[in-house]
Amino acid sequence: MMETKKFVAVGLVVALLIGVVAVFLASSDPDGLESTALVVQDEKTLTGPAPEDGDAEAIGAGTFEYEAPMPDYSLGESGGTPGAIIAIVIGTILALLVVFGVGKVVTISKH
Amino acid sequence: MHIPDAFIPIGQSAVYWLIALVFIALALKWARKELDEEKIPLVAVLAAGIFAIQAFNLPVGMGTSGHLVGGALAAILLGSPYAAVFILTLVLLIQGVIFGDGGITTMGANIINMGVIGGFVGYYTYTGLLSVVKNTYLSAGVAAWFACFIPALAASVEMWIAGTFPLVPGLIAMGTYHAAIGIIEAVITAGAIYLVTTARPDLMKTSTEAAT
Repeated sequence: MMETKKFVAVGLVVALLIGVVAVFLASSDPDGLESTALVVQDEKTLTGPAPEDGDAEAIGAGTFEYEAPMPDYSLGESGGTPGAIIAIVIGTILALLVVFGVGKVVTISKH
Repeated sequence: MHIPDAFIPIGQSAVYWLIALVFIALALKWARKELDEEKIPLVAVLAAGIFAIQAFNLPVGMGTSGHLVGGALAAILLGSPYAAVFILTLVLLIQGVIFGDGGITTMGANIINMGVIGGFVGYYTYTGLLSVVKNTYLSAGVAAWFACFIPALAASVEMWIAGTFPLVPGLIAMGTYHAAIGIIEAVITAGAIYLVTTARPDLMKTSTEAAT
C-alpha cells in the first residue's frame, strides 16, 4: 500500500502531467454545450464539423460579464503555449491547495 | 457543460445559486464528519487530478469535444454524493473565477448539474448496479456515463427555461453529444478507480473488492 505522502506526490505529478499534455493535445472543438448552442443557432448541423468562427455564446441573453485573470486557461494572447502551461499548473496546484485549505478549515474544531 | 454567464438570466441564476448553497452546506457537513488529517490531502490531490483532466478535451466526433467531469469518480471513490458536491464546487469555483470557464452567476447551476446531479446519479447508479452485477469497474463505468448524460439533459432544460435553447432540439443535441462524451467519463472513471484502488485499497469505501 502506498503511503499517503507518496500517494499525494505521485497524484500531483500525474495531474500536472495530464494538464501539461492537455495544452498540446486537447481538442479545440467546442464542448457539448457550445456545440448545442451552435446547432440551435443553425451554425452547425448535429453531426457536422464545428464552424471555423462560430460564436457559441452569441445566443445568450445574459448581461453579466466577468473578466477572468487567466481566460480560457491562458495568460492572454501574448502568453502562448508557455502561458497555457503556467495557467494549467497554477490551476492544478490551486485546486489542491483550496480543497486542502477548506478541508482543514471545516474540520478545525473537531478535536 | 460549463454554462457561461450569458446563458442564464440573473434572476434564474440566483435561484440555482440558492439551491446549490443548500447542497454546499450539506457537503461541508459531510466534509466535517468524514475528513481528517489523513484524508484531507487525498481528497485535495483527487481535486487536483479532476481539475487537470477537465482541461483535457478529447474529440468525440460530430465537431465536438468533451472531458471528464469527475462527479461519479469523486462520489464512488469517497462513498458519498456529497464528496462530489464538495470537490466539484471548489473545482468549479477555481475554473469560473480564475479561468473564466463557466460563469460566475451561472456557477450555482453548474454546481447543481455537475456536482449535485452528477454526484447523486453517479453514486446511486453505482451502488444499485454493484449490488446486482457485483463488478466494480462495470458498475462505475455505467454510473459515470449516466452522471454525464443526465446532467446534460438537466442543463438543456435549464437552457430552455432561460430561453437560450429550444426544448426538443436542445435535448436532442445535448443528449447526443453527452452520450458520446459519457464514454470518456465511463472509461476514465473506471480506469482512475483501478489506479487509485491499486495504490490505496483502503481508500475506496464502496467497492466489493475493497473489503477483502
